[in-house]
Amino acid sequence: MVYVPIRAGVGGQVRRSNPEPGRGSIRGKSLKLALKLVAVVVVALLVGAGSALLFVRGSGLGGTVSVGPWQTSLAIGSSEADPYTRARVAIAGLLALNRSETIYFTAAQDDAGDALRSGCIYKVAGTDPPARWWSVTLYGADHYLVANDENRYSYGGATVARETDESFVITVGPQETEGNWIPTGGQADDTFSLTLRLYNPDPEAVSNPAGIALPHIVKEACPS
Amino acid sequence: MKTWPMWVAGTIALAAAFHILTVFGLPYGIMDRAMAGIVAEAGGVNKPVYPASATAASRGIVRPSPDLLYTACAYDVSERPVKLTSPVPDTYWSLSTFASNTDNFFVVNDRQVKTDRIEIILAASESTATEEGIPVIVAPSSKGIVLFRSLVPSEDLRAEIDAKRRQSNCKPL
Repeated sequence: MVYVPIRAGVGGQVRRSNPEPGRGSIRGKSLKLALKLVAVVVVALLVGAGSALLFVRGSGLGGTVSVGPWQTSLAIGSSEADPYTRARVAIAGLLALNRSETIYFTAAQDDAGDALRSGCIYKVAGTDPPARWWSVTLYGADHYLVANDENRYSYGGATVARETDESFVITVGPQETEGNWIPTGGQADDTFSLTLRLYNPDPEAVSNPAGIALPHIVKEACPS
Repeated sequence: MKTWPMWVAGTIALAAAFHILTVFGLPYGIMDRAMAGIVAEAGGVNKPVYPASATAASRGIVRPSPDLLYTACAYDVSERPVKLTSPVPDTYWSLSTFASNTDNFFVVNDRQVKTDRIEIILAASESTATEEGIPVIVAPSSKGIVLFRSLVPSEDLRAEIDAKRRQSNCKPL
């Protein structure tokens, strides 16, 4: 008979054996991996989709051609439109016609480059653009018409009152003024944009939109 | 071995994929929503709606023109072609068609029609059997939107132009 001294518990740590060696650590690793994957997908979704929305959202159609504060994209409505233009048009100008039928210029800034604000007064002044018919329409930051007591949202070539030299001046602001007036709705902090539509533009306007003389947008005051 | 560079690269690659998917998918999603709105109002596809002039309360389509009267149909040519008919008023007027990705694949205006009435067939392919003598427009997508625009140059003419645009129609053959 051999005598074996029992040492456990005397001067050392007692180690518990794992009934299923390795299983606990694998479960922990799997959980950690799953959490990492979820975090990657969430971050990628936020960054990817968020950057896409930031890129295509804006105050207007944006574009590649600028005339003063007015901008347009030559590819609006066209099958040659790049994916970003398509997405931008879908958000800010769904069902827009191609430029041979209509050219859409959008301005979200005045001539000085400052954002258009509902509490300020602007003069939109110019002469008839080269098209069969044109209109200037005011939209809120949400791309819809802005509520006002006059229910007036635009002026067109057939409705605008003209100066003696056939030019026109449209006042855009919160307070009623004599002559042509498009109300901004009056909330001082709201931004807005103007869209100038040229229906059946003249051929030279279609071929060279950058060469069209468009109305100036000049800030007069910001009373509120 | 350090694995964090792999995780960062994977996140960037996946973010790029989501970015591209969002940019490509947005037009389709927004058109789907617009078509669903027209279908709900018209009571089905290939049927027209005649909304009142756009006001601040209008929320169907972004940046509507308050100077135009619109007639809209959500078309579906997957089973049968659709016949588009309309009187052509004595004002700016146009008939335009938009694919499911927002492309404006066809437009004709009052000056180009040269008669006081238009008939056009929208079909999935040129070989589709249609009515003889009526021009066929091939739609690049089986679903999309047809939009008639009529300019109201002055309030005196509104009733007359409104009565004519209410005769604009989309109907399956």
